[in-house]
Amino acid sequence: MSIFRWAAGRLGAAALVAWVVTTVVFFALRAAGGDPTEAILGGPGSQAGEDAVAQARSDYGLDRPLIVQYLVQMRRILTFQLGDSYARKQPVAELIGAQLGSTMLLAVCALALAWVIALSVATLATRAQGVLGRVVSGLVQAGEVTATVMPHFWLGAVLILVFSSTLGWFPATSVGASPAGLVLPVVTLAIPTAGFLGQVMRDGLDEAAASPFATTARARGASESRILWRHSLRHAALPAISLSGWSFGSLLSGAVVVESLFGRPGLGRLLLDATSTRDVPVVVGSVLVVALTYTVVTTMADGVERLVDPRPRGADRATDRTLRAEAAIV
Amino acid sequence: MLAARRATTARATTRRRAVVAALVPAVLVLASCSNDTSVASGAPQDGGTLVYATGDAEPSCLDPHVGGNYPQALLTTQVLEPLVGRDADGEILPWLAVSWNVSDDALTWDFTLADDVTFTDGTPFDAEAVKVNVAHLQDPATGSSTGYLALAKVTGVEVVDATHARFHLSEPDSALLESLSQQWTAIESPTGIARGTDANCQAPVGTGPFVVESWTPQQQVDLVRNDGYTTVAPEAKHAGVAYLDRIVWRFIPDAATRYAALQSGEVQVIDNPQPDAIAAARAGGDITDVDAPRPGSVNRIELNSGQAPFDDIRVREAFVRAADVDPGIETLYAGTVARSYSPLSSSEPLATSDDSLFGTDADAANALLDAAGWTGRDGDGYRTKDGQRLTLRFPVSTNQSVAAEQSLFEQIQANARGVGFEVIITPLDLSGWYGALAANEYEIVSAPYTKVGPDVLRILYHSSGITPAPSGYFANHAKIADPDLDDVLDRAAATTDQTERAELYAQAQQTVLDGFYILPLYDQQNHFLVRGATGTRTLHTVSTPTFLDTRLAF
Amino acid sequence: MTATTTRPARLRALGVTGAFALVFILLMVVAAVWPTLFAPGDPDAIDPRAAFTAPGLAHWFGTDESGRDVFTRVVHGTRQSLGIGAAATAIGVGLALVIGLLAGLGPRRLDAALSRVIEVLFALPSLVLALLLVAVMGKGVTPTLIAVGLATAPGYARILRSQVRSVAGSAYVEAARLEGQPALLVFGRHVAPNTLWPLVAIATLGVGQAIVWVSALSFLGLGALPPSPEWGAMVNGGRVYLVRAWWLTLAPGLAITLTAAALTVLGRRLGRVAAA
Repeated sequence: MSIFRWAAGRLGAAALVAWVVTTVVFFALRAAGGDPTEAILGGPGSQAGEDAVAQARSDYGLDRPLIVQYLVQMRRILTFQLGDSYARKQPVAELIGAQLGSTMLLAVCALALAWVIALSVATLATRAQGVLGRVVSGLVQAGEVTATVMPHFWLGAVLILVFSSTLGWFPATSVGASPAGLVLPVVTLAIPTAGFLGQVMRDGLDEAAASPFATTARARGASESRILWRHSLRHAALPAISLSGWSFGSLLSGAVVVESLFGRPGLGRLLLDATSTRDVPVVVGSVLVVALTYTVVTTMADGVERLVDPRPRGADRATDRTLRAEAAIV
Repeated sequence: MLAARRATTARATTRRRAVVAALVPAVLVLASCSNDTSVASGAPQDGGTLVYATGDAEPSCLDPHVGGNYPQALLTTQVLEPLVGRDADGEILPWLAVSWNVSDDALTWDFTLADDVTFTDGTPFDAEAVKVNVAHLQDPATGSSTGYLALAKVTGVEVVDATHARFHLSEPDSALLESLSQQWTAIESPTGIARGTDANCQAPVGTGPFVVESWTPQQQVDLVRNDGYTTVAPEAKHAGVAYLDRIVWRFIPDAATRYAALQSGEVQVIDNPQPDAIAAARAGGDITDVDAPRPGSVNRIELNSGQAPFDDIRVREAFVRAADVDPGIETLYAGTVARSYSPLSSSEPLATSDDSLFGTDADAANALLDAAGWTGRDGDGYRTKDGQRLTLRFPVSTNQSVAAEQSLFEQIQANARGVGFEVIITPLDLSGWYGALAANEYEIVSAPYTKVGPDVLRILYHSSGITPAPSGYFANHAKIADPDLDDVLDRAAATTDQTERAELYAQAQQTVLDGFYILPLYDQQNHFLVRGATGTRTLHTVSTPTFLDTRLAF
Repeated sequence: MTATTTRPARLRALGVTGAFALVFILLMVVAAVWPTLFAPGDPDAIDPRAAFTAPGLAHWFGTDESGRDVFTRVVHGTRQSLGIGAAATAIGVGLALVIGLLAGLGPRRLDAALSRVIEVLFALPSLVLALLLVAVMGKGVTPTLIAVGLATAPGYARILRSQVRSVAGSAYVEAARLEGQPALLVFGRHVAPNTLWPLVAIATLGVGQAIVWVSALSFLGLGALPPSPEWGAMVNGGRVYLVRAWWLTLAPGLAITLTAAALTVLGRRLGRVAAA
């Protein structure tokens, strides 16, 4: 029962997100000025004549009252028809459909790699002891902070310079699912996220290692690795699972930059292009898809956490630490 | 952490295992890459696929009749052919039209067409096709800008017979052949046009050496060789079909990434390279620089003479004298560009140059501003007159301006400040930039204009260019309204006497330079870096590269 | 967690690293207020003949493509860059205060409604939101600030709501209420200090992140106005000359990293202080 209520709640939230996003984007872009016919007739600086402008206005229903245009847009959304692109004259759903997979592949690979890096580094750092341990811990902390604030565009440029121009190991450009081409964009996208996840996991591991459970286990003679694998990692992974959902948003943001840098087709580049050409249907469509994807991913992360988390159902599950870490993801 | 000091051998082993286990996926992710980009030098060979990486915006439609911009011209140079070509001296060359005659009143042009050419969809190329193309360009539903303007004086095409087309003009047009040599008026298959705008945008059909096979948005356009290519293209180094099997036309917006892709052998040709990359190519090595300045105007800064403070020629001259652009051009472009002193591109044989007007002289600039009444100074050190600050608004289109150019603008800003100008640079996207121009919210602006032939002077400096199109667009940004200049430009556009035409255009250019309406900078930079391919040359019309004679050389 | 912890105890909890971070940030603030103290030169003074000078005694961090001193520009850019980070965070925190306090202290229905608002805001990644605002408002720093602010607000709001709920339901607040203290006094004495400290700790983290995202917009061609020496714009501008003059990105890159790192350390320590 409660799981259904929860799912229904999330579905309602998703619908709400869709409605608000569509409405806000639609009116905001129209209020921004700039005649949409401009985008239809070959972009800014078009020297199209009067009759061409009139033709375009009637073709795209732009001569109708704004509220009618809005209702038309809403009806399209409800029927999953996103309309035609002003600039490309192709169905928006088709344009987005062609790019969605590429961006998701990039983001999911980056998330996976971020997890692997964060987990490896956090486990290693927890293992080092004594003076060495302090040095390692300090270095790791510095590395994580640096990684977290590293701009994607700079990191990517340096990686291209080193691994493509100089060493020639990986191609500088990336298309679709070609594994070689994916390496540099995925690494670029993963490093800042890894830095962030690493901080969260290391905190969790430290906390778990000092917890009563660990002390008891040690007293019983359990090995440190047994404690790490059986207990601490699970403890540290819990907040990290839910945070993966949230950091997916920052990966989608990063994808806009990474796709432009590596010349990789994707949703981010589509949105960027559509923004600069004021292609309203494409902007509405891609923002909507991004928002819904993000909502789905966070919901999934939430669901996984619910399954894994042993605490009783009624409790306020979001721990203080999780909340704080979430807030730190922009 | 504290209790973890009780290390055991067993623990150490597991730790290592744990570490390895944790790192394995990372290794897998990183190792799943192949590297087959090895490049070896060798003799040119027939066949193969050339990869071209462009930094220009991806067209929203590949048909250059729709809109009409440079990215479309670049791509369709491989696919579509115009009626005529042009050589380096400005001589018009036969292409799809083999010869032509103009009537005495200059209102009727007779073109004789090549008779053995077919479009790649099998449609024969004939006079009817020419007629359909002109009608297509002039149809408002097509939404043509560049081609539409180029054919403004054409009232219609008459089909005399299959190989003879007669153009009727409303008034004499000395630029007609130059207009028809542009990629934006290239001839497309009438059957292709009949498919409608959507299909034609996806894959325009022409008579060129390559055919559009498919277009994957944001990624690439695939071109395959036209095995039935029979046109005799001007300046071609060989007859018949192209050497290459295919061309992959990729969209890679970042210049550094494009260059890295060229270095690593992923692509063979890139456009819009950074100055550093051009300088490196010129210094030697396996990368060749193809320098092909675009025709039409130079890159220049236009001074809005339509309103204060630039309605006063003394203030305009003061700005030009203070800007001091030479040192910046030298360092920012790593010595790869030459300063221009002409309104026209160096690729235009009729360009007139006058460097005597553009010497830097801050003292002279100060004296001119004093004389013009800008004698006050405010707290920030800027000049004032009647309580008004000497402010110049400078909207910059980030879509059209490269990094080096934006740095140059910053230097101009700093130099102009030295004599008391406040220059406010505002980076804008294309839409906002056109908006600022339409609202007359600028004193200085830089907007290159590409067109084959000196007729571009009429578009840019004739007073009729101040009247905006329905979209708000106008070309005369300097807002020159000089009846004498109008008259010279009108006569130059109408004359059929080549000598008189050259003299009139020289006179018009001198007027523009003498009036300090513009500050010429350098040619519209249009470089192509080539690695692992030979035989790439650029057309002397719109300066786009053609890969008809290109062979891979690995 | 009580309201009785003394100030010196809080300072001691900062530790050596925290103290260093605090001093660094204070220096940054001085540089922002009084840049000529560290770098007396003019950040916009050009000298094309001295362009691309490598780091040395005359120019500690070299010169850029127009011959401007990179160090001077970084120091003078502190005001704008820190300002950007602070303003974006202020927008986020301000909005979060309204939403979080109302949701935490208000009736259940209001809480539910505001939670929906938070969810909708959370559904838009910051850069996507920024692109949207740029499309509406045009290019520049302002839309970026607002976008980053809006994108961070829901996170702060959630923390605040949870903190406020737990503090408001705690024994000592209950006790104070039973003693008959006025609601406003209870809020000011107990609820506010115990909920706002953790928020300050998180918000310091956000300042560094905001600077990074604004620089990403510079890369996409939607950021700060030239020739303002904003750090993100400088890193992006220098990227073009990475091979010829690597030092162009070094100083502003270091400035971003160190500031963000110091703020992160400070934020984490403050978090512990708050918990002390």
